[in-house]
Amino acid sequence: MLPTLGLRTHIWNNFLKSGLLLAGFPVLLLAVTFAVLLLFQGSGKGLGADMAAAAEALPVAFPVALLVSAAWFGIAWLGYQPIINAVTGARPVTREEEPRLWNLLENLCISRGLRMPRLAVIETPERNAFASGLSRETGQVTVTRGLMDALTDQELEAVLAHELTHIRNGDARLGVIAAVFAGIISLVAEVVFRGLRGARISGGNSNRGRGGGAAVLIALAILAVAWLLAVVLRFALSRNREFLADAGAVELTANPDAMISALRKVEGRSNMPAVPSQIQAMLLDWPQGAQGFNLWATHPSIDSRVQALVSVAGGRDPGPILDTRPEPEPPAEAPHAQAPRRATGSPWWRGPAAG
Amino acid sequence: MEWIILILVVLVVGWLMIIYNRLVALRQTCGQAWSDVEVQLKQRHDLIPNLVETVKGYASHEKETLERVIAARNAAVSAHSPEEAGRAEGALTGMLRQVFALSESYPDLKANQNFLRLQAELSDIENKIAAARRFFNSAVAEFNAAIQQIPAVFFAASLGFTPRAFFELPEDQRAAVQSAPQVKF
Repeated sequence: MLPTLGLRTHIWNNFLKSGLLLAGFPVLLLAVTFAVLLLFQGSGKGLGADMAAAAEALPVAFPVALLVSAAWFGIAWLGYQPIINAVTGARPVTREEEPRLWNLLENLCISRGLRMPRLAVIETPERNAFASGLSRETGQVTVTRGLMDALTDQELEAVLAHELTHIRNGDARLGVIAAVFAGIISLVAEVVFRGLRGARISGGNSNRGRGGGAAVLIALAILAVAWLLAVVLRFALSRNREFLADAGAVELTANPDAMISALRKVEGRSNMPAVPSQIQAMLLDWPQGAQGFNLWATHPSIDSRVQALVSVAGGRDPGPILDTRPEPEPPAEAPHAQAPRRATGSPWWRGPAAG
Repeated sequence: MEWIILILVVLVVGWLMIIYNRLVALRQTCGQAWSDVEVQLKQRHDLIPNLVETVKGYASHEKETLERVIAARNAAVSAHSPEEAGRAEGALTGMLRQVFALSESYPDLKANQNFLRLQAELSDIENKIAAARRFFNSAVAEFNAAIQQIPAVFFAASLGFTPRAFFELPEDQRAAVQSAPQVKF
């Protein structure tokens, strides 16, 4: 099978990015602490005095901030999986509960001599999946009930192999670290902005001079930049990861057709608005992530992924699958019946743009 | 001059060490892969007495077939090397097929919950054996290729790195292990 060109580089890049995120965190934290201190100055003695006072308080405040964020990371490290399960509504399942899903993943792992990740299911008719985990050895693969019901064994196996590849490539780890990292920054920024709004309303601004105003503005600017960084962090996960994971899935299952038809069945039915934005970046497909500005996309479009599978892995593309209700309907499945349905804009035609 | 020779010696020794360590790691993977296969084989062997007991209750005059199943199972349990295991497992799979074919003539047996459960579990395990076998054989292929490469080929044999056997099932049995035993109704 294709040796997934650039895979080593991708894994190395993920490793590097994870390291940079962890190393860059204290620096960013220093800036945020400084901004918060600056907010509390407002002495009216001028901007320079405020900045100096904030800088003086920094040696005391920074260790405190470092401790707080260490605690945050500690909690995240120990409990990230239950937290992710809680916010996404995923429920870990056992072999007895989901024998089909379990066996597919277990056989995949046995045939590569890998340790089997945990499995979880989200009870929703939408079709999606994601992998999470801090080590490349273990992790968790989560799928939705809708995905399990809609896909055949081969297609489900392809999706599981895709998620397994995310874990092996370190995408799952980078995703979790980025989510934890972005979480604390957006938390601080949100608390400060809310607090500030409250202060404005109660007239707290009246005792501040011009210098105080400038200090507040600078502090807000620093916070805004930090917050923007947190938002942009979801793009730390490169879009290439999806192509590479698709290729990895084909390498594991030796079945490009199953991966293609799985993607086609997911297309337009993967919308999960209840999932927090950082986890959206980790999903199998994210419709809003694939449209609009290329720059802002977190996911490549299904079409481009299928194109890649067709040209590199030699799969066959059945075209968009418009209507796959579980019960088989032989007359409606006839090829000529689909074209007019699409043209009349029936409710079954839901492209990603509608989702 | 002495320095150059010294550096060359260090480089060559280092290179040989890297190759040696790689061979050790590959041999380790083969061993691990084989114990993965054995885990699955053992589970299969453990199910068979159960199956025989269940069938006996409904088809007591098929004693001869059942005794042959037990004999095949015992032979498979005592097989340890991949070649022996491949032959013994192939024979066992053939016997199991006979048992499942035999259930055709006993409607009560075919409806027995325990029998159906065992049948499903056995076919599940056969999928797992196929998966474990794939991993083991690819590990063996990698190891065998590594000891035949230059320069490993000059010293591998004297250090005890000998080619390993694949875990192969007889050709006609292979289809049975790769796809679940089909019972036609």
